[in-house]
Amino acid sequence: MTTNEPNVTALPLADQPTAKFPDSYDHYRGSKTPIIIDNGSTTLRFGFSTTPTPHCGPNVITKYKDRRTNRPVLLFGDAVELENNSRSQAKTPWEGDVLLNADALECSLDYAFLRLGIDTESVDHPVFMTERICSPLHSRALTSELLFEQYTVPNVAYCLDAMMSFYWNNRPLQESQQDGLVFSFNSASTSIIPVLGRKGILSHAKRIPWGAMQSADYLLKLVQLKYPTFSTRITTNHANWMYRTFCEFSDDYLAKLRRLKDPLEMQLAGRIVQFPYTATVEVEKTEEELARLAEKRKEQGRKLQEISARVRGEKLLQKENDLAYLTALREERATLGKREWTTKLQSEGFDTDAILDDSIKKLEQALNKARKKEIDGGGGEENVEPPSFPLLDTPDEELDEEQLKEKRKQRLAKAGYEARIRARKEKEREREERAAEEKKEEEERTRDLSGWSQKLRSEHEAAVLKIKDRNRRKAALSDRKSAVAQARMKSIASLANEEKVGRKKRKAGGDDMFGANDDDWAIYRKINIAAPSSDEEDDMAQLQTLEAKLLEHDPSFSTEHTYAAQITKRSALISAFRPSYEEGDTEGRNRVHLNVERWRVPETYFQPSIAGVDSAGLAEVAQMVLAAFSEAEKARLVKNVMVTGGPAQIPGLLPRLHASLRPLLAPEMELNVTAAADPSLDAWHGMAHFANMTDYTKIVVTKAEYDEYGGERVKKWWGGNWNAAV
Amino acid sequence: MPPKGSRKKGVGLATSVGGDTPGGSPTPQTVSLAETLSYLNEPRPFKNPYYTKNINRRAKSLKVVLNAEKERQRLEREKLRAEREAKMAVDGAEPEQPEEEAPTYMSIEAPPSIMPQRHYCDITGLEAPYTDPVTQLRYHDKSVYELIKGLNASAARDYLSARGVNPIVK
Repeated sequence: MTTNEPNVTALPLADQPTAKFPDSYDHYRGSKTPIIIDNGSTTLRFGFSTTPTPHCGPNVITKYKDRRTNRPVLLFGDAVELENNSRSQAKTPWEGDVLLNADALECSLDYAFLRLGIDTESVDHPVFMTERICSPLHSRALTSELLFEQYTVPNVAYCLDAMMSFYWNNRPLQESQQDGLVFSFNSASTSIIPVLGRKGILSHAKRIPWGAMQSADYLLKLVQLKYPTFSTRITTNHANWMYRTFCEFSDDYLAKLRRLKDPLEMQLAGRIVQFPYTATVEVEKTEEELARLAEKRKEQGRKLQEISARVRGEKLLQKENDLAYLTALREERATLGKREWTTKLQSEGFDTDAILDDSIKKLEQALNKARKKEIDGGGGEENVEPPSFPLLDTPDEELDEEQLKEKRKQRLAKAGYEARIRARKEKEREREERAAEEKKEEEERTRDLSGWSQKLRSEHEAAVLKIKDRNRRKAALSDRKSAVAQARMKSIASLANEEKVGRKKRKAGGDDMFGANDDDWAIYRKINIAAPSSDEEDDMAQLQTLEAKLLEHDPSFSTEHTYAAQITKRSALISAFRPSYEEGDTEGRNRVHLNVERWRVPETYFQPSIAGVDSAGLAEVAQMVLAAFSEAEKARLVKNVMVTGGPAQIPGLLPRLHASLRPLLAPEMELNVTAAADPSLDAWHGMAHFANMTDYTKIVVTKAEYDEYGGERVKKWWGGNWNAAV
Repeated sequence: MPPKGSRKKGVGLATSVGGDTPGGSPTPQTVSLAETLSYLNEPRPFKNPYYTKNINRRAKSLKVVLNAEKERQRLEREKLRAEREAKMAVDGAEPEQPEEEAPTYMSIEAPPSIMPQRHYCDITGLEAPYTDPVTQLRYHDKSVYELIKGLNASAARDYLSARGVNPIVK
């Protein structure tokens, strides 16, 4: 499912767990072959000592009720991933490095023995188990109790997985020659154990609380921080897979970081994980649909036009009727007497003759306009002849009351009319001015394009600067300690203080002469932070006009130079670190980019402070361990540095370890760093091999000894723990 | 020796094979994959039925276990010291060399680092020469600083906790 890009890998689908059949037991019945169990925090490996490879399975069990059939179910290992129900009830015997849950251990051992096909009444084989370095005695007591009492095993021995892996990888050498420094990488911790003469010197061993589990958790945290709004939930299993597939150790972390600083490098070094997504299908409207929609819209427009035309026609009709009626009324004036005439007028709603004449004239004008519009199509200009104001010229004494009123009205009307004419003239003048300016600019532009564009560009920059300054001032105001904020407080304080000052100067009349000076009002601008000043909008408008002109005429000014593009431009570094995809790109939005994390996460082995763990790193601890030995012994130890354990398979570990240890030693000391042949399984192989030797019987704890001393006692031997050892 | 006549535990299944349907009932019920993989009902003859599990064996927490270890170590050390003093009082001779103390789970833990810590950017992971005074986040350069300015308080706290710094919530 990989796409064309080379660095994209899709998340792997989990395979379905299959039913496994138990082995046939007949071969081993009554043979007393030791059963080797590598009881790891992540995986459980078990088998008879004479088989070449062990059975492996994740060391986790779950007990729950099946949803559909409501019957209890007990699952082990891979099968736990089957359903959500089972996953939520999963239990492991280990909590990090310490074995705490004896129930879970019992179920795991049940599975192991069932799988080996044991059907006798007790597990009649010696059992060889691993434990953690210096494991708490409680854990050992739990396991011993289980093995001896529950399964009635004849004898049990405990060992350290790192020691057995070392033993297996150094088999050809003589026993006294088997020296080395073992780096044991486990799930929840990493230990360094010096070995001299095949004996583990546990008193000088050291352990750091960082292992594969914590690394995967840290990677998960980093990815979640990088993608806070990711659509799918990223689980620990995903993080585990990502850690194992993409992370590696760097030889020199600082040098690597400095190289990655360059966005191009970062892009090359990044890997993309494609999470499953559902592609959104855009319903693309076909050409016909688009045409149909346009047609519909035009239809609607036409209908509206028809309706409005009809309404207009009706109104016109109405007006014409009114006009006819009123003119008829006026003609009646000629026939009727004065008294009758006034009563008739009043009954119609007109107080005086003049009003009637006025309204008739208005109606006539409206009708004329409407008719003209219909003829011209709406293009005709207003052709109003200046209204006459006859009464304004006659002096007041000659007029009676009514006529005075008329005169006042006419004066107002005339003033209004003159004002309108003046405004129209102003507008025209402005338009002419602007046109003249534009023409001048065009001439300038055609004459000297570069000079003109330079001038505009400097104006543009100045405008951008002004806006940025204002933003900065606004940001500074929110910071309590900035100079701007303190100036603001000072002006507020001085304003509040002004009362005391004015008391002596009462002579000037009025308590507070604040607003007399126009500049005083400018103080409101300083104090009120939140007021959106109109200046901002003016600046933005000016900026936009400048940009429009530049964009249109200047070939070298592109959209990138505009202000909007400048503020939204994300730096190249951030876009290489976390590329952003557009809204509709679901495929892109479900991608996780891993670039710096690939080296950052394994680096925590050497610098646990990266993740906040207050411990020394591997190199420092190695130095501490080596410091307890004499020079000769140190030389023996570093000649054979071995790395073992599942998490040691992260690439780049060996060169990194070599580079970190080299400066700690004298230049002439020989330093060899090797890995176990098979870091995950070598411990089991070592155990299986040793279990078949005669020496094995010397180190076991028999049932009788268990009954007497309890579960915590063991025999001290070269490959086992020392605490509570006899 | 295992007691004789220990009965088989579990539901009566003739041959327990992992792939069979549990219960052995003839009715063809649809069995889920989980049930085929389950080994709950398989007989475990190797288990001792007379072993009464300590019912109160609740899984002790890690803290409790480690504290018990610490106590035990302290007691041993005191006993050793008392022994040595008793010997000195009796003999008056030089005390014999103490045996190498067995390492315990805690004693083997590595101490904190004494090397000077390097500062790494909380956002990108590159080197970070600068620290933001408002959020205490370390950042690599100007563009990362712009990003930090745009974070809200909870996001900033999340970044800090990834580094292990948990600021006190006022």
